[in-house]
Amino acid sequence: MDFELTSENLMLKESAASFVKKDHSFERLRELKNDQWGYSKDVWQKMAELGWMGLTYPEEYGGLELDFSYVLVLQEEFGKGVLPEPWLSTVLLSGGLVLSGGTESQKEQILPEIVSGDLMMSLAYLEEDGLFEINHCSTAATKKEGDFSISGKKVFVMDGCSADKFIVTARTSGSLSDSGGITLFLVPKEADGMRVTPLKTIDGRNACILEFNDVTVPAESIIGEPDSGFQILSNSINKATAGVCAEMIGGMQACLDLTVEYISERMQFNKPIGSFQALQHKAADMFIQKELATSATYYAIASVVEGVEDQDMGLAVSVAKAKCSSSYMDITKTAIQLFGAIGFTSEADVGFFLKRALATKVLFGDVDYHLNRYSVLKGD
Amino acid sequence: MKISYSQEEERFREEIREWLKENLPPEIIDQTLGGSTLDPELLIKWHKTMHKKGWIALEYPEDLGGAGFTETQKFLFEYEYSLLGAPRQKTKLMAVGMLMPLLLQFGTKEQQERFIPDMLAANTLWCQGFSEPNAGSDLASLKTKAVIDGDDFVVDGQKVWISMANYADWIFMLVRTDPDAKKQKGISFLLVDLKTPGITIRPIEALTDHEPFCEVFFDNVRVPKENLLGNINEGWNLAKALLEHERLNAFPIGEVVNALDKVRHNAKKTMYKGKPLIEDEVFRRKLAGLEVDCSSLLYTYFRVLSQLKVGSNPGPEASFLKVYGGELYQRVLDLNLEAIGPHAQSWYNLDEFDNDVHQGTMGWINARSLTTWGGSSEIQRTIIATQVLKLPRK
Repeated sequence: MDFELTSENLMLKESAASFVKKDHSFERLRELKNDQWGYSKDVWQKMAELGWMGLTYPEEYGGLELDFSYVLVLQEEFGKGVLPEPWLSTVLLSGGLVLSGGTESQKEQILPEIVSGDLMMSLAYLEEDGLFEINHCSTAATKKEGDFSISGKKVFVMDGCSADKFIVTARTSGSLSDSGGITLFLVPKEADGMRVTPLKTIDGRNACILEFNDVTVPAESIIGEPDSGFQILSNSINKATAGVCAEMIGGMQACLDLTVEYISERMQFNKPIGSFQALQHKAADMFIQKELATSATYYAIASVVEGVEDQDMGLAVSVAKAKCSSSYMDITKTAIQLFGAIGFTSEADVGFFLKRALATKVLFGDVDYHLNRYSVLKGD
Repeated sequence: MKISYSQEEERFREEIREWLKENLPPEIIDQTLGGSTLDPELLIKWHKTMHKKGWIALEYPEDLGGAGFTETQKFLFEYEYSLLGAPRQKTKLMAVGMLMPLLLQFGTKEQQERFIPDMLAANTLWCQGFSEPNAGSDLASLKTKAVIDGDDFVVDGQKVWISMANYADWIFMLVRTDPDAKKQKGISFLLVDLKTPGITIRPIEALTDHEPFCEVFFDNVRVPKENLLGNINEGWNLAKALLEHERLNAFPIGEVVNALDKVRHNAKKTMYKGKPLIEDEVFRRKLAGLEVDCSSLLYTYFRVLSQLKVGSNPGPEASFLKVYGGELYQRVLDLNLEAIGPHAQSWYNLDEFDNDVHQGTMGWINARSLTTWGGSSEIQRTIIATQVLKLPRK
């Protein structure tokens, strides 16, 4: 067992931290609030120049070919600043899917474009009435003269408005909740028959609803084997979930620091309010929550680094996500409470953490989803 | 980063498991897993067995009578040890975890030679005399006094909540030696033979109906000056050092794992709406929630150990391990009560009654003490707030 970061890990941590400090600010989040995409293309391009778009990709596609521990380091620092850029959707999740299931020509076509910062991607897999279930898929793809025709509806496609290309899950056989029979398709945003309804998320980012009405794509746009997309999908979502957890623990740390600073300075009854035990014990609980969530996340990340079996990775990820979802919410809600009235305003930075906590809590499954999944994987 | 154990660590765990499985008496496993107070006679016998194996002072070098374990080995040992149902109270009664490091750090050569070997062999049993009726969380306000008279200290006062004082031979205690100095300044650390005239020990019955602790009265008790540990009036430093040594011995996580297994076991037997309770969606979710917390705590130990490997000190940051471990254990036992339904109120272990049920109830009530002894959860949270988060004290 070893959870220690290497000196190479720490180098990335340092450069990510200084990037977040220099090229990002909460003021930027305020400016982007009403932007259609909620992030900045310039910042995205800078991240690409730093090589982060190809963080874990093989060198042959222009990547840095680093292991998953670097995802922890990078996402933790992004989380501290509540960064809005869709690194997770494009690089970790969509690019990750192409990498693990794509053909050589798909990889050659897509990955270098992600690495250069020119291609934005998003995964469309959630449906109405399915909550967070990956296997709940009614969107259908039927064969049509060598091509496939997709019809159906995907909800809450994260970072969907800004995406140039989607990876869409569609059923090619089986019934509604079967794991088998799901196929992954690459669909460009300009495809005929696709309707995009833009959404804005609570933390200022973008999402969309995608409706497919006989959208025709060639058979070459399938990622992996027909009917067996579930495995790569579930594996990639597990990894992306571990990546979200890393972002969440970064947010917890930064939110706690901000709160401690505030209650150490805010005076009432001629004393800093942080000297009152009622507040101190709340702050101590925030610290405890943050520590446990951090450990669970390190374990999940280390499981990915070590490449354990899918079931063990699923367990580790569900522990981490259940813990992070509840801890990040608890910590940020308490933070708002400790800030008092100012915490309820847009002027205070602390609110960014609360909003991101909610957004990440419901990404890839909330607490109950992961507790249920844990139970099932554990075999109870 | 890696989560698997190295081959060396794997071998080490295997060795521990095998030896314990062969040598750990089943009565002890029953009592430990049941969460009840352990029979001291059994405990002493067990300690002597462990001593012969050389597994008492785990982290100390072998020439000091220790096992020479690294911090990781020590953790792995304690983890396997508690998983198999071995008793955590060993260090409490024998003071190896508390007094030995203090003797090594502050004791004279004579004191070390006089006390350590017998302590390790359980020839001398120790108890800890810190709390007083009016000095609990506010320990530094203790009043039991020791006045120098010739070659002796004369001790007068009262100590309370002294675990197993009725079985111990010696007590290590905090006394006030300078009544005029500021609170923490006038305290000294004494080693006292409990057979000395003037000492009265009165066991106290706990909510478990057992007598796990005592009051100890000191009336004109003469203690030779050479039994002072460390410098006079500097005993508070020793008390603080003791807490430092305790930090990683915080809470045996293996016991939480065992308790969760017990919950699962009971919930498979208890029927609800024609099905085992474990199949009830709501119950499963509650159980999974506790498993998530337990895993998170276990991984936190791994993380703290990784930090120790590269030489950084666990520091007060690690003090939350005790708070969280104790509280989590209590929550697990709360769920265990749900798993035994109406039987949760059963008390005496009648023959026709299920032993699991009795253990559930007894373990639950016994666990009430976990969040008060050794610094209540509230005191621990104040420590986290002021020493870790550096929030202002006033």
